[in-house]
Amino acid sequence: MTGKLRQIITASDPATRDQSLDAFGRGASLEGLLQECEDLEAFRHRSENLYERVRALFFLYAMHRFHLPTKAGMKLRGLVPFKGYNHLLRRRFEEALEVFLATQAADGPSDAISSALASTYYRLGIQTLADQVRRSVRSVRGNQWMFRMGHPADQPLRIRPELLQRSPTGGGYPILREQTPVRMDLTHSAWSDIFFLGMDFPEGANVLNVSVDLAVKGRHATPKPPIEVYLRVIDEPVLRLTSVDLGTAADISNLNEVFDFAKDYLGLLKAAVIAAGIVPPGIEGSGQSLADLLARLAGPGRGLELISNVNDIPKGSRLAVSTNLLASLISVCMRATSQAQSLEGALQENERRLVLARSILGEWLGGSGGGWQDSGGVWPGMKLIRGAVAQEGDPEFGLSRGRLMPVHRVLDTKDVSVEMRQKLQDSLVLVHGGMAQNVGPILEMVTEKYLLRSESEWKGRLQALGILDEILGALRNKDVRGVGAATSRNFHDPIQTIIPWASTFYTETLIARARKEFGEDFWGFWMLGGMSGGGMGFIFAPEKKQLAQVRLQEIMSQTKRELESALPFAMEPVVYDFAINEKGTWADLLSGEELLLPQGYYALVVPKLLRLDLDSLPPLRRAELDKFAAASRTEQELRGAVQDVFDSVLPQPKAATMAGESLSELLEQNGFDRAQHEQIRADLKEGRIGLAQNRLPAKTKIEDVQPEDVIDATGGLPGDCVELGKAAIANGEVAVVTLAAGVGSRWTQGAGVVKALHPFCKMGGRHRTFLEVHLAKSRRVGRQSGTMLPHVVTTSYLTHEPIESFLAWQQNYGYPGPLVLSPGKAIGLRMIPMERDLRFLWEEMPQQLLDEQAQKVRDSLRTALIGWAKGAGEGSDYTDNVSAQCLHPVGHWYEISNLLRNGTLARLLNEQPNLKHLLLHNIDTLGADVDAALLGLHIREGACLSFEMITRRIEDRGGGLARVNGSVRILEGLAIPREEDEFVLSYYNSLTTWIDIGKLLAVFGLSAGDLNNPEKVAAAIRNLAVRMPAYITLKEVKKRWGHGQEDIFPVAQFEKLWGDMSALPEVDCRYVVVPRRRGQQLKEQAQLDGWLRDGSAAYVESLCEWKSEI
Amino acid sequence: MWEARAPSKQTSFVEIKKAIITAAGKNQRTLPLQTLVDRDSASKTALAIIVEEVMKAGVEEICVVVRPGDQAAYRVAAGPHANRVQFVEQAESLGYGHAVHCAKEFSGDQPFLLLVGDHLYLTREAKNCAQQLVEVAKAEACAVSAVQATHESKLPYYGAVGGHLVPGRQRLYQVESVLEKPTPTEAEQKLIVPGLRAGRYLCFFGMHVLTPPVMQLLGEAIASTKTGVQLSAALNRLAAKERYLALELRGRRYDIGVKYGLLTAQLALAFDGKDRDEVMSGLVEMLALKGE
Repeated sequence: MTGKLRQIITASDPATRDQSLDAFGRGASLEGLLQECEDLEAFRHRSENLYERVRALFFLYAMHRFHLPTKAGMKLRGLVPFKGYNHLLRRRFEEALEVFLATQAADGPSDAISSALASTYYRLGIQTLADQVRRSVRSVRGNQWMFRMGHPADQPLRIRPELLQRSPTGGGYPILREQTPVRMDLTHSAWSDIFFLGMDFPEGANVLNVSVDLAVKGRHATPKPPIEVYLRVIDEPVLRLTSVDLGTAADISNLNEVFDFAKDYLGLLKAAVIAAGIVPPGIEGSGQSLADLLARLAGPGRGLELISNVNDIPKGSRLAVSTNLLASLISVCMRATSQAQSLEGALQENERRLVLARSILGEWLGGSGGGWQDSGGVWPGMKLIRGAVAQEGDPEFGLSRGRLMPVHRVLDTKDVSVEMRQKLQDSLVLVHGGMAQNVGPILEMVTEKYLLRSESEWKGRLQALGILDEILGALRNKDVRGVGAATSRNFHDPIQTIIPWASTFYTETLIARARKEFGEDFWGFWMLGGMSGGGMGFIFAPEKKQLAQVRLQEIMSQTKRELESALPFAMEPVVYDFAINEKGTWADLLSGEELLLPQGYYALVVPKLLRLDLDSLPPLRRAELDKFAAASRTEQELRGAVQDVFDSVLPQPKAATMAGESLSELLEQNGFDRAQHEQIRADLKEGRIGLAQNRLPAKTKIEDVQPEDVIDATGGLPGDCVELGKAAIANGEVAVVTLAAGVGSRWTQGAGVVKALHPFCKMGGRHRTFLEVHLAKSRRVGRQSGTMLPHVVTTSYLTHEPIESFLAWQQNYGYPGPLVLSPGKAIGLRMIPMERDLRFLWEEMPQQLLDEQAQKVRDSLRTALIGWAKGAGEGSDYTDNVSAQCLHPVGHWYEISNLLRNGTLARLLNEQPNLKHLLLHNIDTLGADVDAALLGLHIREGACLSFEMITRRIEDRGGGLARVNGSVRILEGLAIPREEDEFVLSYYNSLTTWIDIGKLLAVFGLSAGDLNNPEKVAAAIRNLAVRMPAYITLKEVKKRWGHGQEDIFPVAQFEKLWGDMSALPEVDCRYVVVPRRRGQQLKEQAQLDGWLRDGSAAYVESLCEWKSEI
Repeated sequence: MWEARAPSKQTSFVEIKKAIITAAGKNQRTLPLQTLVDRDSASKTALAIIVEEVMKAGVEEICVVVRPGDQAAYRVAAGPHANRVQFVEQAESLGYGHAVHCAKEFSGDQPFLLLVGDHLYLTREAKNCAQQLVEVAKAEACAVSAVQATHESKLPYYGAVGGHLVPGRQRLYQVESVLEKPTPTEAEQKLIVPGLRAGRYLCFFGMHVLTPPVMQLLGEAIASTKTGVQLSAALNRLAAKERYLALELRGRRYDIGVKYGLLTAQLALAFDGKDRDEVMSGLVEMLALKGE
């Protein structure tokens, strides 16, 4: 009966409404599911209820992503129409759906079109939710007027008169200082503070949130509010913004610049100025004068200065530092403009709520978004924050079940006694583990799973609610051990049930080591924020706390050293001292002798002033200098600032690059070809090579292949292939080559970790690295055949040493067969990209548009990056980073030729005289293994190279199998003449290749015997290399600085790709279509959850045999 | 609920015979002495124009609150009606509420019309602004403030009221709260009045009919603070205590204390009176000459 899913969505009783989609999907037929999809599609159009629509969208997504592809009768091969894809990129979701649904109706359902529909439904669902939050933020009373105001003459705010009273002795205006604690989430809410969840399931949105002061152990003496912001009137008509912690200051005199968030590190301050109504959002793009607006606020010729200072608390602390900083900035601005009655001291409850509303607005403006509990530092002490059901009169009423804004109840001493608060402080060790990861994908996953009511995740959510009550009970009963037990259970059960990725191998190693060392005195682990690895809590018996602080620092540092090639660490781990802050955000009006700003401010500002003509300085700035000069003679804490100022005004030796001399040594040692590099630079600068030049000529004819061009192995292969393959394996004729020279730029967004060593997922009960999975597959095949497979791992300078020492540490994961590393013999030096290429990538290539505000921020960032490239010198060497981030591997074509050059192949042939074939695969192609049938097919066909292909889904970008001017070959994405050409190709290259060694050597013009002649081998490689196209690519690299801060830069590099071997006429190739689970690659961590849920992970696990099992 | 609030029993609303005009503001004291040409083409001081407005509304006794030493000049400025005017001095500048309270003895237990001395009021209606207000106050037998829907950008200049329309009436509102110079943030949270356009609030027009309890509330406020006392705060308390209405007047106010305020007020008077054509042609000539 059609309409079953619709009934689940519209049901008013929770038992029906909370039913899982998966349970239904598993039992339904293809026809039944398609009918349900049709019904839901019609329903979502006619429903006026936001959450019915959104849930229908997520149901539709899940059916196309997880259920339809598994049904018998589903066609695998299909094409995604480019027109629909283009709509999707432009965020025209409804139009995209129209196109995809029309294709489905015309061509019949297919795996390809379902992937396109799934992707579109998902994004439309997320967009619908984001739109609703945005509407709610704007419609909160107290926020609305700011969107109406478009002219300085309409600015209704005025600076409070107290801030305009200048010091009678000629000094400046008084300073309003706000000090704000950060927030610690005591219960972890199972992410129930995500706005979408709170607005649909307010009853389930509950958080116990504590305001805390911090001190980094060894850096600060005692805990204090980590956030300080300052506001004062100045006698220049500008907005002077200074971020002391990020070392940036700017005088803004133009309105447009206030809305340019990513131009510098002042985005948060700008968002605060806007969200506080000083420069209201409605005035953006009005072309009006900032000076006029400031005159209206503070008087003609006057401006405002806003300073932020975060006391060395690193990024990624999971303590919502940035949201509380935003709230603190907004608070000080609102106090200064009478929007809060309280000029000094604490805020009233209604004022705190207003600051919360404005912070939500500010986060949206800045293109970020935390949870609704994040500005908890504004409130004092410990508080329970709960979702609220929307009532008549609320802007949300009738649209969503819950309100945007939660309700805060500050816990009193009956809820948690003074004694218990102290006990908690005596037992909890708060740390930053050093990892900084993007939690954005996790928040989307949580939303999706909630809306789908996936069975185990839903149970987990309900269980987390019970744990909150348990923690509240333990707090009332003064039972810290009970708190620790509950937070530990929360982490191990509901949190990881909902999101397995919340835990990391690093976290679990720390917990295991803490438990091993402290035994019964380790009372529990406590996860903070979106995921673990950064800010975390460990609870110990109070008498052990001091020791635990010392030991945890050591354990974290040691574990980080062991894993730093494998996981993205942004900084050295730190341990905090902390104290519960019972005041919440707090302001003081400083005047007279107190008028001193933080030391870092002077270190930043004074040198700039000293370089100017003192007579030309405005009087207040001169007075500022005088004040600093006088204070630096008497104030102990300003002594350091004097040294900083001194250093910065004296001439410095020419700035050495970060990479420094070690870089040139490394280049020499690793076969860097200077002549080739200079040629590439010259070609790049002259425009002979570049992103546009990667492409084949526009007149090239690109067509999809014909059925006879491929061998379809998705339905199995004949028995003789299996037998042939089995015999070859048993006879020692095959070895595996895993390509592991890369650092997975997309995997960790340029963090530079070795992807092969990333413990990416729990399989067989614990975290496994990519490398371990590949070895486990070879182990199984070897054991089953009775002959252990030689397994080669190709490396590069970037990955060789880490992989070598990691394997030594892990004792080769117990791999019983030959395990060989093939070190890279080619390396490149990254270059600053050309503006032309950046513009090509960002302006001419189809780009995924982001949500409105996020797109604005991205555009602003891109303008800044183009400025950086021009300023730093287009086409010059990229050296302003650690060495590893300046070098690059030069493409997987070289990884295979290196086997010849570095002697690995010769040695293998020597040790394995029967060896005839190689199975080559990428590090992230987890389903690839030595499959007897496919090997048998390769042998039977007698080809030089047998490439494994998969049917294409919408996310498979980067080329495919094509007829290029009539010849069948693999076409790399970079070479495709027009974007739309890729959409006529129905097969995607998995890169997995069966190689006939003898025939490959022949292509190089070599025989096995020649492998012992290095000169001949080198010449052969060089000769073939010149026939391979060199592609210019832009990659993202992270540059780390400060305490956990990271910037991402685009850099240019070149590469030669293995798939282009198929274009050589003398290479005899076959193209075998294999099941998707075998050929799909994991390129981004955001893919992991779907990979786990669609059965791919279970498939891979079925291929593995772990160390302990033999 | 307002229905539950009874009119003040000791107040008789049969007639409103008394008016208080404040003129003791720091920057305000010379403004009522300025001379303008009224609609009847006669030169009068601003004070005389206000006094005439008030008397047309049936007021018989007027009290002007002035700064010490200003009495003589004001007596002259009051013109032919000087005999109806008495003066009381505000010794210290302690806010508008304090200035009003200085006339407590004058108002006694009577309701009174309250105006500011630096505003002129014009209307195209048959009845002038003060008449419209007094009539409603008498009919409703409660305190009534004249208000005007004002754009939020003007909030820093006025007191503003929140409330809702009296059922079945137009332009007459039940006042629930009063805030002095609110920020738009506060106004949006507390002062939204159904029926007004977005971003508009009911701001004071500078003209009220108030009841004796206001004087009592002002007295309490003065006793409890050493700093300035605002009338708005007392009116906010009044709204919680008894029925208090706001009337959206058909008319315009001219603040002669702002830049070009006197000129604008003069032009408004001229355009509304006998000399309209003369002034218009003068202006046209000026504009034409400017274009040469």
